[in-house]
Amino acid sequence: MNRETFVEKLRTGLRGLPQTTVDEVMADYEAHFSEGLQAGRTEDEIASALGDPARLARELRTEAGIRRWELERNPSSAAGAIFAILGLGVIDIVILLPILLPVAATLLGFMVASVGIFTGGAIIFVAGPFAGIGHYIAAVMFGGLSLMAGGVSLGALTGLVSIGFVNGLVWFGRLHMRLLKPVLESSEVRP
Amino acid sequence: MTEAIQIQLKRGVLELCVLAVLSRNDAYAYDIAAQLAKAIDMGEGTIYPLMRRMQTDRLVETYLVESSSGPPRKYYKLTTSGRASLAAQTIEWTAFSEAVNAILGAPQ
Repeated sequence: MNRETFVEKLRTGLRGLPQTTVDEVMADYEAHFSEGLQAGRTEDEIASALGDPARLARELRTEAGIRRWELERNPSSAAGAIFAILGLGVIDIVILLPILLPVAATLLGFMVASVGIFTGGAIIFVAGPFAGIGHYIAAVMFGGLSLMAGGVSLGALTGLVSIGFVNGLVWFGRLHMRLLKPVLESSEVRP
Repeated sequence: MTEAIQIQLKRGVLELCVLAVLSRNDAYAYDIAAQLAKAIDMGEGTIYPLMRRMQTDRLVETYLVESSSGPPRKYYKLTTSGRASLAAQTIEWTAFSEAVNAILGAPQ
């Protein structure tokens, strides 16, 4: 494989990442080829020492996804990191989906519940005094207020658990990159 | 299978090796890759995802140095937490390798 083919395959594999990230990565590998050529190696030698560009692209994608998740904790970056980790290998989806789906559904359920409790509390707090319950007004308002507080704390707790959950996945993804992948690859290469 | 174990072992200690190389001198990626590829027989391409990961973890920082031949080179240097990580991992590695050597009956 010559320089052009390697660079092209790598660029294809990185498609979809932010342009600045792609440029940085490509510059790294272009520099590697330049250094290697100066050291008197051929393009083919350098490319084969670098390894499979498609696999390198998968690892780099995962790293970029994790980096974004660490910089900005939001649902979109979480989804990006999770899909990048899943992209590392088909086997992960089979192992992870039965764990991933129920946990994600449960967390979503808790989120919806916390919004519901908060809204219910707010309605009781605002509408309670007008419902004509007489001298229980203070108690009704207080009840609404505590429901709102409960909703907020349940929401915050769910948020924390969600962040921990995605962090756990990131840990799993990195473990996979470091440990499982070489085993899978060497078993693919060997007949 | 032995080959798979070898690759796993090398991958596990690659970060430690990079930290150790950088603790002696700042270096650019090609230089690190060449040193390690020769010493422990690693695929050179592995170094770039690793360097990005170490940058994300704030173990290393980069700066550019003008080169007499060609474009400026990106040098890597250890951060304070990179040095701390090197110290911690060295202790772990030493303890681990001594324990394995003892079990294998190798002279220490």
